[in-house]
Amino acid sequence: MSTEFATASHTTTAGPVLAFTGELDAHTAHTAFAAIQEVPLSRGQLLLVDLAGLRLCDSSGISALIAASHRATDSDAEFALAAVPAHLARVLTLIGLDRVFTTYPTRADAHTAWIAAHPEPHATNT
Amino acid sequence: MMSPTGDLTGGGGGSCGDEPRPEGTDTNPAFSALLEDSAEDLYENAPCGYLSTLMDGTIAKINTTLLDWLGYRRAELVGCRRITDLLTVGGRMYYETHLAPMLAMHGEVGGVALELRGANGSRLPVLATSVVKTGPDGTAQLIRTTVFDATDRRAYEQELLRARRDAEDAREAADRERDRVQKLATTLQRSLLPPQLPRVPGMRIAAYYHPASADEVGGDFYDLFPLRGDAWGFFLGDVSGKGATAAAVTSLTRYTLRAAAVYDPDPIAVLDNLNTVLHHRYRRDEPRFCTVVYGSLTPTDTGFGLTLATGGHTPAVLIRADGATSLIEAPGGMLVGAFPTATFVTVEVQLLPGDSLLFYTDGLTEARTGGRERFSEEQLRHHIAALGPVDASTLIADLTDLLTAFGDGVDDDTALLALSIPPTEGPRP
Repeated sequence: MSTEFATASHTTTAGPVLAFTGELDAHTAHTAFAAIQEVPLSRGQLLLVDLAGLRLCDSSGISALIAASHRATDSDAEFALAAVPAHLARVLTLIGLDRVFTTYPTRADAHTAWIAAHPEPHATNT
Repeated sequence: MMSPTGDLTGGGGGSCGDEPRPEGTDTNPAFSALLEDSAEDLYENAPCGYLSTLMDGTIAKINTTLLDWLGYRRAELVGCRRITDLLTVGGRMYYETHLAPMLAMHGEVGGVALELRGANGSRLPVLATSVVKTGPDGTAQLIRTTVFDATDRRAYEQELLRARRDAEDAREAADRERDRVQKLATTLQRSLLPPQLPRVPGMRIAAYYHPASADEVGGDFYDLFPLRGDAWGFFLGDVSGKGATAAAVTSLTRYTLRAAAVYDPDPIAVLDNLNTVLHHRYRRDEPRFCTVVYGSLTPTDTGFGLTLATGGHTPAVLIRADGATSLIEAPGGMLVGAFPTATFVTVEVQLLPGDSLLFYTDGLTEARTGGRERFSEEQLRHHIAALGPVDASTLIADLTDLLTAFGDGVDDDTALLALSIPPTEGPRP
C-alpha cells in the first residue's frame, strides 16, 4: 500500500502557499503537521493550503487541516483551502467544516480574492 | 611443655619423624639452602593447615598455620587431643559415621567440607583432604590431613545462594508485576470497549463493535443508558486518529457524554459540553476531535420519540416497517472538539412499530471491498433496502456477516448500533 505524500511551499504577496499532494492519512500526517508549523506566516497574511494534488484524506488529514487553520488563527492570519477534491468536499460538508473553512476553486482564485480585499498588499502590516 | 616453634618433628606419638625432606640439589648452593630452609618453613607456614593424627584420632602433629587459625598453642593439642576435639558437634558425628569408615576402607577421602572449632569457640569452615599413611608392613600408621580455609569459599557459596534467591525473588516480583500490568491493561481496555447495553422496555437494541486490529482498540464508541424518568440517552461516534492517544480521547469522550447527559439531557447541550471539554484538552496538541450522534429517546403511545443531535457524523439509516429506507440527516452539525465553539443541529424522528434505525461509524462505509474500491454509503443503503423490514438484531447480524466477509478490507474500527420497535400484533398500520 503506497502512502506517498509530499508538501511544498512558496510565498506570494498574499502569504505562504502550502501544497499537499498524495495521500494524507495517519502514516503521513506528521509530515503535514511539520510543514504547517514551519511555514513562515505573519500577521494579516493568508495561509493557503492547496489540495489540488491530494488523492486521499482521512481523519488524520482533517486534523492537519484543522491544525493549519489554528496556526493561522494564532498568527492573526487568514486561512483558506484551494482546489478541494470532491471526495474531501463531501466529507467537509458532512462534518460541518464547509462553513468554517473558506475555499477557492484554485490557488489563483484565492490570490485574486485576497488582492481584491487588500488593496495595498502586505505593505502596512509589520 | 614444648614451645610452639620448638618441636617440628618430635611431637606426638613419635611416628612423625620420618617426614620426607627435600634432596640437596645441584648447582646453586644458595638456592639449595633456600629450598632446604623452605621445607620446614613450608610445612609450618604453608597457606594451608597440616594435621597428622594417629589412627585413634590423637593429634600427632600440626603446623603453625592451622594452630594460628584455631588459636591454640601446639602443646595444647599435640599428644593430648583428638581430631574430634577440633570439630563441631555435627562435624564430629560426620567424622565418626562417614569419614573414619571411608578412611579405613579406601585409605583416603578428599574435598570434605567441615567446620573446625577454634580455641575461643569460633567456627572455621574448611575443606579437608585426608590420606592414610601405611608402614612397610602395610598397616595403617597415621592419617595426614590437609586443611584449606574455606571461609571465602563459604562466603562465595552463600553469596551464590543469596544471588539465586534474589534472582528468584526478582523473577517472582517481575511475574507478579507483569500479571498486574496485564490485568490493569485488560481492565482499562474493557473500560474503553462499548459496554453491554441495558434492556429498554418496548425497544430492541443490538450493537456490534469490530476492532480493526487487536492492539489498536478504542477509536469508536457507543453507549445507551437511562436518563430521568423513562427517557434514555445514547450515543455513537468515532474519534480522529488511531492507537493509544485515540483511545484516551475515546475514554474522555464517553465519560464526558454520559456525565453531560445527566447534567442536562438536551442533545445540543450535551454536544456543546463535549466540544468544550475536548477543545480545552487537546487544543494545543495535534487537534483531536470526534464525530458523534447523540440522541434521547422518550416512549410514546405507539413507539419512541427520538431527538437526535449530530456532530459531523454519518447520517443514520431509517428502515420503516414497510421496508422503505431513508437517511436521518441533520446538515450543519460540526465535528466536536476542533474549534472553541461548534454548531449542532437536532432532528426529530418518530419511531413506530416495525421501524428500525441504524447508526454506524465509517469503518463500514470505508471498508475496501476489493482492491482499492471502498464500500460506500449508497451501497450500504442499497444493501439494507434489499433486506426489507428488519429488527435490530437481524440487521446487526447481517451487517456483522458483511464486515466478516470484507475481512482485511476493514482497516478502521467499526461500531454498529441498531434500535427497533417490535411490530404490533395483527395487520400492519
